Amino acid sequence: MAAGGLMQIHDPQKPRGFAVGIDLGTTHSLVAAVIEGKPRCLPADVGGSVLLPSVVHYQAAGGVVVGKNAQALAADFPGDTLKSVKRFMGKGPDDPETKRLGAYRFVGGKPVVRFDVAGGQPVTPVEVSGEILRTLKRRAEGHFMAKVEQAVITVPAYFDDAQRQATKDAGRLAGLEVLRLLNEPTAAALAYGLDKGSQGLFAVYDLGGGTFDVSILKLVEGVFEVKSTGGDTALGGDDFDRVLAEKFLAAMKLEAPTPSQVVQVLAVARAAKERLSVADRVEVGLDDHRQVVTRAELEEWIRPLVQKTGPACRRALKDAGLKPSDLDGVVLVGGSTRVPAVRRFVAELFGREPLADIDPDQVVALGAAIQADLLTNSARADEVLLLDVLPLSLGLETMGGVVERLIPRNSTVPTAAAQLFTTFQDGQNAMDVHVVQGERELVADCRSLARFRLSGIPALSAGMGRVEVRFQVDADGILAVSAKELSTGVSQEITVKPSHGLTDAEIEQMLLDSIEHAEEDVRARFLREQQVEAGRVLADARKQLAQNGDLFEPGERAPFEAALAELEALVRTATDFQVLETALRALDAQSRPFVERVMNRAIADAVSGHSVEEY
Amino acid sequence: MTHFDVFGLPPRYTLDAADLEKRHRALALEWHPDRAAPSDARAHRVAVERTTALNDAYRVLKDPIRRAFYLLALAGVDLDHAGGGPRDLPIEMLEEVLELREALAEAKTAKDFPRARELAARVEAERTGALAAAVLCLELVETSPANPVAVKKASHQLSRVRYFTRFLEEADALEEEAL
Ligand SMILES: Nc1ncnc2c1ncn2[C@@H]1O[C@H](COP(=O)(O)OP(=O)(O)OP(=O)(O)O)[C@@H](O)[C@H]1O
Ligand SMILES: [Mg+2]
Repeated sequence: MAAGGLMQIHDPQKPRGFAVGIDLGTTHSLVAAVIEGKPRCLPADVGGSVLLPSVVHYQAAGGVVVGKNAQALAADFPGDTLKSVKRFMGKGPDDPETKRLGAYRFVGGKPVVRFDVAGGQPVTPVEVSGEILRTLKRRAEGHFMAKVEQAVITVPAYFDDAQRQATKDAGRLAGLEVLRLLNEPTAAALAYGLDKGSQGLFAVYDLGGGTFDVSILKLVEGVFEVKSTGGDTALGGDDFDRVLAEKFLAAMKLEAPTPSQVVQVLAVARAAKERLSVADRVEVGLDDHRQVVTRAELEEWIRPLVQKTGPACRRALKDAGLKPSDLDGVVLVGGSTRVPAVRRFVAELFGREPLADIDPDQVVALGAAIQADLLTNSARADEVLLLDVLPLSLGLETMGGVVERLIPRNSTVPTAAAQLFTTFQDGQNAMDVHVVQGERELVADCRSLARFRLSGIPALSAGMGRVEVRFQVDADGILAVSAKELSTGVSQEITVKPSHGLTDAEIEQMLLDSIEHAEEDVRARFLREQQVEAGRVLADARKQLAQNGDLFEPGERAPFEAALAELEALVRTATDFQVLETALRALDAQSRPFVERVMNRAIADAVSGHSVEEY
Repeated sequence: MTHFDVFGLPPRYTLDAADLEKRHRALALEWHPDRAAPSDARAHRVAVERTTALNDAYRVLKDPIRRAFYLLALAGVDLDHAGGGPRDLPIEMLEEVLELREALAEAKTAKDFPRARELAARVEAERTGALAAAVLCLELVETSPANPVAVKKASHQLSRVRYFTRFLEEADALEEEAL
């Protein structure tokens, strides 16, 4: 028979798609999946680390680098290396976030934030996040040797509609079907609740790199019911770093630091802060400047920031109708809860020692993986149910710039509400609708989500034209609006594209661009294909080893096994598809004599099988 | 179908919060779209609709104030919709509200947070009283439906409740500013 290699004899099994959970964090992102019933974080960065720094570097030649390798380029290319981009999601170009200490070059002229980076067009936070998601998707594909097309992506519970839309758009850009946007504290509770089999009332306090969330949940027999949530989407460890960096800059008498100095000082500040979680004092060196910082000093400086988390916690308790003593536990999530002063603050606020027994870096991704599994694996669907809430009230602008609240915060989603409008002028055939989100009474103090004009109202006398505007919030916390003219029954669907969002056409274009132009993408796709191939080969080789190990000639087996181990390692580490391809070819050639014997035996078995049947 | 019907409860103000929560959980488990087969678009849509109705009913009924407004709406006076408020609110009720708001505005400008807190405590007590009065009227309506006087009284008291609630929200915002 024709000489076949391992590549030819694998079972032509259709690769099954995997659904993953992704924690798209301000400083780190992770991807996790449920494997054999247990959630696990997958290697996400070069070197096998499960934490992928949320850093994206744009090269002058047009390439994109993500993760640790991008981080290494930050000091040399401060403007082209984007960090903490999550804080810009769904934001307008004049948002206060763009005014903070940082090294970015912003471009105006559009309703969304855009960064001027090397290598071509300005990029939006959605595209940058899309790169991070794409990297995680590929790493997961490399791990499973199979396509990954569905994901649950986590968002801070306190994200508003525009920030959620932006996150969903980023998922789409990365070629992912976003099964659900899951609130980070809820994800953490899911991981804890299922792991520990807990029941009762819990507070989840999540202080990460860029955002703060608190949620109060009730766990009863597999139902995770969020009672209330609160937070601040612009408060986190990044702000601790900034406070410290500003002290350093002042001590160095650097009034107008260069972008590269800013990046460097921020990095030193972060390292010093993290060390002070275990040490009492650290000495920092910045060029020829030396400075000692004690933990007490740091605590003094960040105290106002830590205290800023208090009102949201108290309000969440109040909204849930609870006192701290009603709680059965407090769970800590997020890297910044490693700061001792934060832990003390939480302990005091809730009157109990908080729990942190699942790695606070991983717990959110693990919860997201569980939810992805629950949503795609029908065998598990009736084990657990999550009931989450809308974090911020939704309303409409009425006379005098006052907000008419339609759906109050902490309503369980999905939910809906309708409001009736009447025309106020004779013959009026259009009406302006302004959708806002927030808790304040005046429109000016709330987040403007969208403005649109309802047209086509039949000409009637004032007060006779009646339009019902209906808000529907889905399980992702995303709003859709529809309107119906009641006298004629004519209805209109309005897509609320947030004022600070991208249009569908823009997303389409970005998708096209990323497919057509990115050479890096093609190589990545090849790499993925080779990884899939290598996975098949490895699985098959194992099977043959187990079943036909006796067919090895003396001295053949050990080098074969060594080659397999080498390939296995390469699959995880290779960044170039050609490396894998070469290794596969070599293995193929090496295994040919053995494979031929396996094939011969298979044929012989088949023939003898026939002989029993037929004679 | 009323919000009470959703839960299979009689349209009464008095209800057991723990029981309502339990019913909500049981119905959510039965109807939630996450439990429908992902491939069945129709089943999914129905699930979203039912769960939405369930959650809307829950939002209204679990809150003592919203529940009162809802019962009043069932009795024919919808204070929640634009222009639905009673035009005949007694003048002394309006004056009371205006005075309180002025006092709060003064405290705000003077950054006199203790004063604001004191006002808020007073208004909280007033609101509790107004709600209790409204509930008494609503319970009268429950037993003898055609009772226009009780409906009107309930609507006045609930209008006060609404003003007090606005006041308390403003006071809350001020409180957060103070922290
Ligand atoms: N040992 C430590 N001491 C103090 N801070 C720490 C420590 N370890 C990590 N951090 C801080 O935690 C933050 C990162 O936390 P985490 O990875 O949970 O955030 P994230 O998930 O990326 O952000 P977010 O959830 O806000 O989007 C950084 O600010 C980091 O400096
Ligand atoms: Mg996080």
